[in-house]
Amino acid sequence: MTILVKIFGDLRKKIEGYNISDALPLNLQIESNGIDTIADILNKFSIEKEETYHLFVNGTYSGYNKKVKDGDRVGLFPKNMSLLYKWYFERNEDE
Amino acid sequence: MAKRILRVDMTKLEANFENFPADFAALGGRALTSTIVAKEVDPLCHPLGASNKLVFAPGLVTGTKAPTSGRISVGGKSPLTGGIKEANAGTTFAQKLGRMRIAAIVVEGKHEEDDYYLLKVTNDGTEFIKANKWSNKGLYDVYKELYKEFGDKVSISGVGIAAEIRGAASGICFNDPEGLPSRYAGRGGLGAVMASKGLKFIVVDETGAPGVEILNEEAFNMGVKKLTNALTSHDVTKPGGALNSYGTCVLVNIINEAGGLPQRNFSSGQDDRSEKVSGEVKAEEIKKRGGVRPHFCSPGCVIQCSEVWTKPGGKDPVGVLEFESVWALGPNCSIYDLDVIGELNRTCNDLGLDTIEAGDLLGVAMEGGLLEFGDGKGALKMLNEIKNKTPTGRILANGTAFTAQAFGVTRVPVVKGQGLPAYDPRAIKGIGVTYATTPQGADHTAGYAIATEIMGVGGTADPKDTNKSDLSRNLQLATAAIDAAGYCLFIAFAILDIPEGLEGVVDTLNGVLGASLTVNDVAGYGQQIIDTERAFNKAAGFTEKDDRLPEFFLKEPLPPHNEVFNVSDEELDKVWGT
Repeated sequence: MTILVKIFGDLRKKIEGYNISDALPLNLQIESNGIDTIADILNKFSIEKEETYHLFVNGTYSGYNKKVKDGDRVGLFPKNMSLLYKWYFERNEDE
Repeated sequence: MAKRILRVDMTKLEANFENFPADFAALGGRALTSTIVAKEVDPLCHPLGASNKLVFAPGLVTGTKAPTSGRISVGGKSPLTGGIKEANAGTTFAQKLGRMRIAAIVVEGKHEEDDYYLLKVTNDGTEFIKANKWSNKGLYDVYKELYKEFGDKVSISGVGIAAEIRGAASGICFNDPEGLPSRYAGRGGLGAVMASKGLKFIVVDETGAPGVEILNEEAFNMGVKKLTNALTSHDVTKPGGALNSYGTCVLVNIINEAGGLPQRNFSSGQDDRSEKVSGEVKAEEIKKRGGVRPHFCSPGCVIQCSEVWTKPGGKDPVGVLEFESVWALGPNCSIYDLDVIGELNRTCNDLGLDTIEAGDLLGVAMEGGLLEFGDGKGALKMLNEIKNKTPTGRILANGTAFTAQAFGVTRVPVVKGQGLPAYDPRAIKGIGVTYATTPQGADHTAGYAIATEIMGVGGTADPKDTNKSDLSRNLQLATAAIDAAGYCLFIAFAILDIPEGLEGVVDTLNGVLGASLTVNDVAGYGQQIIDTERAFNKAAGFTEKDDRLPEFFLKEPLPPHNEVFNVSDEELDKVWGT
C-alpha cells in the first residue's frame, strides 16, 4: 500500500534521480510501511523540517506530526514557497 | 513647492492645481482617494454620471527610494458594486505623481460631446488633447503610438474599449517599465467611470519635478534601511525567494493542494491539471522563450515578482501573468494551457478589462451554455464580442453578476456585485469573511497584511482560533494602512516575521510626514479609512445583508473537502460590530 507524496519547488532538488527542469511537482508513490507521520516522510527523503513550509495531508494544512496512512495524498512545499494568506490556514496537528 | 491637488473639470475642459488641505497632510493612496470620494461624491449618484469623481493618488512614500512603494490608488463610486471603490496598481505613473508633489488628481464633471480627451500633465501645467484617434483600438498598439508621440520618459494611464462601452468590468491601465499596458487598477469598473467623463488617457511628464518632500531625512533613511534589510532577508521576498523566483503564481500549486483553487466556475477546489499552469512551470517557460523573470513593476522594488510573458519565440510580450489572472482565465474556466491563458490575458489588457472579473464572467458564461468549459478559442471569441461592441459583448463587459443574470446562471461568485478572486471561501474560510465584509466587494487584497499581535490591536494571530472576525478585521485595517502608505502588500511577509521591517515602514512615514507615529498607530489609521468607506456605502444603501456570501457557498459542498461556508452571519457582523 502506498502514499502519494507530491514534492514542489526546490524540494525537488533533494530527491535523487529526477530532473529539476521537469517543472511539474514530483509525484512519488511511497510504501506506507514504517511511515506514521509527515516527519517520517521528511526523514525518508532527508528533508529538514526547516526546509519546508506548507505541508498538506489530503488538502489539509498540517503540522510535522500529522498522521498519514495508506491512500493519503501529501503535499510538501519548501520554505521559500511559504506565501500570503498563511493567517487564514489552520495548521492541523496530531500529538 | 508644497503638495497639491490637480482638479480636472471635464465639463469645462479645465485643469487647475489647488493647495493640498492641511488636514489632509497624513493622507495618501487609499486614505486620500476614499476621503475625497466620501467628501465630494453623492453616494446616491449614478456612477457613470457627471456627479461621480475619479481620484488618482500615489501613496505617502511613493516616489521616494523607500523599497517596493510604487503604488497608486484609484477611487470613485464603482459601477460594479454601487459602493466606494479603491483599486490599486504598481507603476512608474505613481512614482512620477509623487515626485511632482501631486497628492491627487481629481477628475470630475463629464464632457458632453462624443469626443475623448488625453490630459497631459507636466510639472508646470496641463494640456487637453483630443484622443479620438486613439479610441476604438487595442491598448498595446495605442500605448506604442503614445510613447512615440510623447517620448519614452512619460508614464501613461488609460482606458480601453471595455470602458468605451461603459463596461463595469473595465479597469484603469498603467504602463509597466517597458511601456506595456499591463499594470492595472483593475477592479470595480473604474475604467468606465474615466471613459464616461470623456477622459481616455493621462500622460505624465515629470521633467523638473522637485521630488517627494522628506521632512525628517534621518528617520526616513533609517526606515528605508530597516525595511530593505527585512525584505532582502526574508525567504519569500528576498532575491531568489518565492515571489522573485516564481511570481505570484507560486500560489497555484499551494492553493490547489489546499483544495481551495476554484475550478469550473467554483464547482471544485482542486484539479491537478492546474499544475500545468503553476509558477514553477511558467518560470521555466519564460526562461526558454526569452521573456523576462524576475522583473519589477516599478523601479525600486526589491521583491521583483513581476515578469514579461511572451508567445513562443519571445513574440508579442504580454507583461505579467499574475496568479489571479492565470487562475481566473485558466482553472476557473477549465483551461489548463499557459499559452491560451497568456493570449486571454493579453486580450484583457488590450481591451482594458479586469482579468479577475473576465475570468469570473467567462466561467458563468460557460455555465450558462454560451460556450463549453475548457474552450479557450471560444473564450477568445467571447472577448472579441467586447472588442466588436456587440450586444453579447456589452453584456459580458458588465461583469459576472450581469452575465449570470443574462444567461440564467445561479452559481454566481460575487460579493457586492464583484467577482471573487482565486480562493474558495469554503476551503479557506477566513478569507471568506474578508470577501463578505470588506467595503470593496469580493477582494483578496483587502485582508492580508500584518499579524495582529505585532500591531497590538486585540484579536490573535493563532490560526487555530475560530474567531474569524477579529482576524479579518485586523488584516483589513493593516491592509488599508499599507494601501495609504503606497507600499506593495507583498511587504507583509517580511514585516510580519521581522519586527524591524514594520518599524521601518513607520519610520519612513515619519520621515516623509515629519510625524512621530508608532507601530501602534497603524490600526487606528486603517480603521479611519474603513469607517469612511463604510459610511459611504451605508449612505449608498448598503446594509449588513450586503456583507454576505452568495447562497451557493452556504449550500453546495466544495470538493475535495466537501465543506460549505459555515461562518455565521453573527460572526460576519462582528467584524465591524454592526
